[in-house]
Amino acid sequence: MASPLDQFIIKPIIPIEIAGADLSFTNSALWMAISVAAIYTLVMLGTRQAALVPGRLQSVVELSYEFVASMIRDNAGREGMKYFPIIFSLFMFILFGNMLGMIPGSFTFTSHIIVTFFMAACVFVTVTVIGFMKHGLHFLTLFTPPGAPKAIWPLLVPVEILSYCVRPISLSVRLFCNMLAGLTMMKVFATFAVALGIFGFAPLLIIIALTGLKILVAFLQAYIFTVLTCVYLHDSLHLH
Amino acid sequence: MPQLDGSTFPSQVLWLVVAFGVLTWLMATRGVPRVADILETRQDRIAADLDRAQALRTEAEKAMQEQQAMIADAQARARTALLVAQEKSAAEAARRERELEESLQHQLKEAEARIQAARTQALSELEAVATEVSRAASGHLLGLDISAEEAAQAVASARQGAQ
Repeated sequence: MASPLDQFIIKPIIPIEIAGADLSFTNSALWMAISVAAIYTLVMLGTRQAALVPGRLQSVVELSYEFVASMIRDNAGREGMKYFPIIFSLFMFILFGNMLGMIPGSFTFTSHIIVTFFMAACVFVTVTVIGFMKHGLHFLTLFTPPGAPKAIWPLLVPVEILSYCVRPISLSVRLFCNMLAGLTMMKVFATFAVALGIFGFAPLLIIIALTGLKILVAFLQAYIFTVLTCVYLHDSLHLH
Repeated sequence: MPQLDGSTFPSQVLWLVVAFGVLTWLMATRGVPRVADILETRQDRIAADLDRAQALRTEAEKAMQEQQAMIADAQARARTALLVAQEKSAAEAARRERELEESLQHQLKEAEARIQAARTQALSELEAVATEVSRAASGHLLGLDISAEEAAQAVASARQGAQ
């Protein structure tokens, strides 16, 4: 019987090796490419007619656009709109990675900690660089909570710095664990459904319910990742 | 657990960077401007429509004010015309009254003159009668034959004495 974790195995499709490092085009890379293609196709098809009154596909594209735009405006402020293309791409990339990962037999690249951690680390570094570029050393006042008496700064500042540095870890682990747990659980119940024969309908019902939950989680995690990125961006742009 | 297999990390990171880089580039250069364009066009269209509606409203309000001004003007003019007409008719009435009074005065004077003439005539006739009577009376009573001139003179002096 296959292990529930087998679905996460990275399989090379086109083996590439440069300077001793394995850079193969894998099933993970394939589904990243499919996500990119799907997003690009959706956006381009949706805006093809550029109708004044949008059709169904155009509505989907416009809704996604407005959704991310309002997310940035509400959480990072108007200045954050400068980073709209990259945040929109981030949201769509994670959303499509999560959603396409729901297709049986597909590969969920967001279920790998290295992928989510790399994205979170990039967000963290970018946001920190923006903060220093905008405020210079004044950016460090982010670690001094306003209104707190100076006497407890020695206690508060390390905590603030720690919580700031933990951001990429919490951001990446949240997404990774949600994807990992959901997919593993489904696989486990699917194994039960097969093993129990005629009584397999009970785990099957659970799988159906889980699928609905997973779709919600797939959307929610993409949203959380993006909204937290916006919140971090807000800290960099406006400090507190 | 396949997630902890470090040998796959370089490949995953590389293809993540490539895929996300391509996606961001596509979105930044094509996707986002297209969607933004559509939304902006719609926003502009709505704003333009609203502006036009506002302009039409202002115009309608102006027309209404003009109309009200016109009505007020017409009312004022009508009032003035009415006042003028009233004054004119009052003047006309006064004039007529005056004329009537004048003609009445005139008639009164005429009548008085006629009465005066009649009286004068009557008096002169009376004088002749008195002369005649006094001649006849003196002839009958005294047997004197007084000439007409003497009688007239006597009557005139008597009348002057009476006066």
